Amino acid sequence: MGWQLLFWLLVCFPLNIAFFASSFYQVLILSDLEDDYMNPFDASSRINYFVVPEFIGQGLLCALCLLTGHWIMFLLTLPLACYHANLFMKRQHLLDVTEVFRVLKAEKKFRIIKLAFYLTVLIITIFRLVLLLVYYFDLEDE
Amino acid sequence: MGTENPGRPGFPARPASSPFAAAPQTATPFSSTGAVAGSDPPPFRPTAMPPPPQAPSPFSSSGPPVRPGVPGFRPAPTGTFNDPSLPPPQPPIANAPPAAGTFQRFPPPPFSSSAQAPLQQRAPFVGQPSIQQSASQPPSFPEPPQPQTPFVQMGPPPQSTSPAPMGSNVPTPTYQPSFPGYARMQQPPPVHSSFPPNQGNYGPPPAAASSPFLPHQGGYAPSPAMAAPLGMQPPGSGPPIGGIQGLTEDFNSLTVQTRPGTMDPLFDAKELPRPLDGDVEPKNLDDMYPMNCHPRYLRLTTSAVPSSQSLASRWHLPLGAVVCPLAEPPEGEELSVVSFAPASVVRCRRCRTYVNPYMTFTEAGRKFRCNVCTLLNDVPSEYYAQLDATGKRVDLDQRPELTKGTVEFVAPAEYMVRPPMPPVYFFLIDVSISAVRSGMIQIVAETIKSCLDELPGFPRTQIGFATFDSTIHFYNMKSSLTQPQMLVVSDLDDVFVPLPDDLLVNLSESRSVVESFLDNLPSMFQDNVNVESAFGPALKAVFMVMSQLGGKLLIFQNTLPSLGVGRLKLRGDDSRVYGTDKEHVLRLPEDPFYKQMAAEFSKFQISTNVYAFSDKYTDIASLGTLAKYTAGQVYYYPAFQSAIHGEKLRHELRRDLTRETAWEAVMRIRCAKGVRFTTYHGNFMLRSTDLLALPAVDCDKAFAMQLSLEETLLTTQTMYFQVALLYTASCGERRIRVHTMAVPVVTDLGEMYRLADTGAVVSLFSRLAIEKTLSQKLEDARSTVQLRIVKALKEYRNLYAVQHRLANRMIYPESLKFLMLYGLALCRSMALRGGFGDVPLDERCAAGHTMMVLPIKRLLKLLYPSLIRLDEYLLKVDLKSIERRLPLTMESLDSRGLYIYDDGFRFILWFGKGASPEIAKNLLGEDFAAELSKAALSEHDNEMSRGLVRVLEKFRNSDRAYYQLCYLVRQGEQPREGFLLLTNLVEDQMGGNNGYSDWMLQISRQVQQ
Repeated sequence: MGWQLLFWLLVCFPLNIAFFASSFYQVLILSDLEDDYMNPFDASSRINYFVVPEFIGQGLLCALCLLTGHWIMFLLTLPLACYHANLFMKRQHLLDVTEVFRVLKAEKKFRIIKLAFYLTVLIITIFRLVLLLVYYFDLEDE
Repeated sequence: MGTENPGRPGFPARPASSPFAAAPQTATPFSSTGAVAGSDPPPFRPTAMPPPPQAPSPFSSSGPPVRPGVPGFRPAPTGTFNDPSLPPPQPPIANAPPAAGTFQRFPPPPFSSSAQAPLQQRAPFVGQPSIQQSASQPPSFPEPPQPQTPFVQMGPPPQSTSPAPMGSNVPTPTYQPSFPGYARMQQPPPVHSSFPPNQGNYGPPPAAASSPFLPHQGGYAPSPAMAAPLGMQPPGSGPPIGGIQGLTEDFNSLTVQTRPGTMDPLFDAKELPRPLDGDVEPKNLDDMYPMNCHPRYLRLTTSAVPSSQSLASRWHLPLGAVVCPLAEPPEGEELSVVSFAPASVVRCRRCRTYVNPYMTFTEAGRKFRCNVCTLLNDVPSEYYAQLDATGKRVDLDQRPELTKGTVEFVAPAEYMVRPPMPPVYFFLIDVSISAVRSGMIQIVAETIKSCLDELPGFPRTQIGFATFDSTIHFYNMKSSLTQPQMLVVSDLDDVFVPLPDDLLVNLSESRSVVESFLDNLPSMFQDNVNVESAFGPALKAVFMVMSQLGGKLLIFQNTLPSLGVGRLKLRGDDSRVYGTDKEHVLRLPEDPFYKQMAAEFSKFQISTNVYAFSDKYTDIASLGTLAKYTAGQVYYYPAFQSAIHGEKLRHELRRDLTRETAWEAVMRIRCAKGVRFTTYHGNFMLRSTDLLALPAVDCDKAFAMQLSLEETLLTTQTMYFQVALLYTASCGERRIRVHTMAVPVVTDLGEMYRLADTGAVVSLFSRLAIEKTLSQKLEDARSTVQLRIVKALKEYRNLYAVQHRLANRMIYPESLKFLMLYGLALCRSMALRGGFGDVPLDERCAAGHTMMVLPIKRLLKLLYPSLIRLDEYLLKVDLKSIERRLPLTMESLDSRGLYIYDDGFRFILWFGKGASPEIAKNLLGEDFAAELSKAALSEHDNEMSRGLVRVLEKFRNSDRAYYQLCYLVRQGEQPREGFLLLTNLVEDQMGGNNGYSDWMLQISRQVQQ
């Protein structure tokens, strides 16, 4: 059962931490932009830098969950992966620097929701990880 | 560049009482002497005025008493907007005693306890010297819509001035300026209320005053607002009149009639309102806030800010402003340029508002109170001046910034992030085969050469050229050379600039090289057979050259970009896309490259003007993006032929190069706390939430913005707007142009409608609709326009539905009487009309781009062009006919006539079938019988032809932004007549489009649902 632990410890946990951090950073940048601490050129290029890696990673994680048979995690992350794929297909995934102020509110809201989602997934991950660790330590103790 | 606002504006809480709020809230200034005279804005909205119990009426006393308990006469409800037309108090004119004197002369009335009391207490209003003043200067705008005006029941005048027969309900048109209370009676008060108004005929003009009771079917009142003083009885008709004052109608209305013989309802086409005078700038605040900036710079959709969010949500039209910061003042009118050197510009330290006429100086001139945030600021020592006895600064007449709504400040070094840039013009010219064939290069080269002397900013002006086909050509114009050196870049994947400098040179130093280049340019490429266009790479290369300084980039483009980055495909030729969800994609840039380039251009202060000439599809949607985000402009000459369109290009390019331009500009509009501008519409890029970046801006560009209320309730009485444009003038001076406007805050929806400005509403409407076409179907954009008009009229109807019988009538405010027609014209404009087959995609996009920058006046002319009969003028039968605009309908066209249709962009001369051949012969020369599509209009040696040329010249001179080419068309010459003129007659039904009366009927039906 070692691969289970490896999966949670080395794939899920770091990825989710990364998603969470990137979302947080993006929300931060958007707030800065709103308050005029940052110009739209910098803001959108910084955000856009993270968008595609995040999409890829999130899709990958979703697929991995399916392949490793973690049905609940898979079903949990599937809607977001679909939404991301949809955005990407419509070429609306990147922040448009020329219209950034028009979409600012909506983008911020979207990212805050995503932040909450990643937080939930992260908590579940940590919970599962602790459960697994406890289980393994119990096993070794015996 | 240059943050216009070094310190972030903070809008702190505003104390409840503004400096001006105090005066209007007390009744005393009104009822006593002219105490309100002074520099304060005239008292406004004295809604809180408590009715002084048993107030003696100054005027009703000396004459026969007023009968108490006048029926049909209701006291003015509190909270109504009270006489905003009140002009600022003026010194009383000689024969009109001030109110105080009136009190002395007239003893209290015997019937002081009559029901009139609450109204009579308002009579002192009338006694105000200011009103008397208005006798000689009639108020230029409608009365407030409340039927219950304060001017009720004037006391009888001196008996000799009693012109009206007693007991007659017909008001007299006599007008006596010397009688104070009667000052407003510029028009006779119309129909007496005891006779229910008949079929929409309200407010008959003076001539009709004698027959106001005749039912006049659908009579459309030209100025029903004048009906407001209805409540006031004519002097002398005094006491026994029975006082049946009453319901006036403060709106315009149209009566639905039935089609003879059927039950179909219809409107009488003759009575529909038409804007035959063109755009009328709102003047209604001139009296109240005489120090406001001129409406040519800033216009609000309604000159009254709603006091609460709930009120704002009932105003279904856009709430916002249209700004044209650099509008050309008429000749002879100069802007004052103010320099505060060595001090900095005087501003409020909290909200960063610039010093303006509405700031008040206190504490012997040591402090000033900001009108926007009410913060008490210290006056900088350099700016200090003593106050005189009335509290004005002694140096007021030397301080234009304290007396005028529009001033320019010289900005000191802290408003610069780099030394002011010189004017830079860079030309990127397509030299592929189609460009050569069309003759465009020749005309462009000639025009640029002829403009070299007039380019602004001599001797600092810089200029550069690049040409492109499948390769990019740069020109070394170093002043030491005699001939320009051509440098070819053919690596399109990795463009580079072949020379670090000397591609952009100082014009005065390299003048001879530039001239020799322009002389040679047409011949250099005359044998070019290259059909490709490496537009994208060329754009990138030019960007590298220009990014040092910024400036203006003029692109002359003739072939669809086909090589390198930014290549575009043919699209828009599939009619099946229309009506589907993919339709709007055609109007969006195809390649994100153009948006990215536009953003980069804006960042480096480059403004792009796109001149497109192709006879095939050139994807204006994509190219126009470059202009859209860089405060540029799109000029589109479909199927350009130098012989036909050359003159137009010549004039418009010349205008573009020589008009006064503001460089590296940023613009911000400020307003007091509680209100915020949320969305902006036009050609610019937002640098931060409220800062418009305009790399180059000129007098032909207007910007629109919408505002929203942030607080549920505004406590102030006046709202101030300040537009500030920080820019580098061509002479190299950094300047700030400031426009300040004060408007009342109102609590009443009717008041908002009364102060509405159709021009600004239509301008915002059209920008919103065009933006909507970028995300939705054309059909949706059109129906949104209609829906919003319906909603607005419905809300307006609800205001009056209780008091009035409105069945079978369509009512609308006087101020918005043309809104419906402009809405229709907007739906039928080039940008929104029809579908696939009606307008080619490129022309539609170009029209959309053009309409997004047009100032109000030009937009209204484009939407409802003028149609004028010419033959009577030319034959000298009727010299006045040239000033008479006709309704845009087939019925206006007499087949014996010659008409000109002028939408500001082109002239169409329409020759009627039955027009005398002599006219055609005189005007067109010998080939008058030939097909007119090939005929050209030139001056012939006869009086009539010269007359026509003079007329065209006069029309063209009235607005020089665009050059109007003259198209000739003969009646019945299809399909040319159809697409040139007939589709543009917006009042006629055409294809799937509504005619004016059908449109009105549709709207009125939806309103009544």
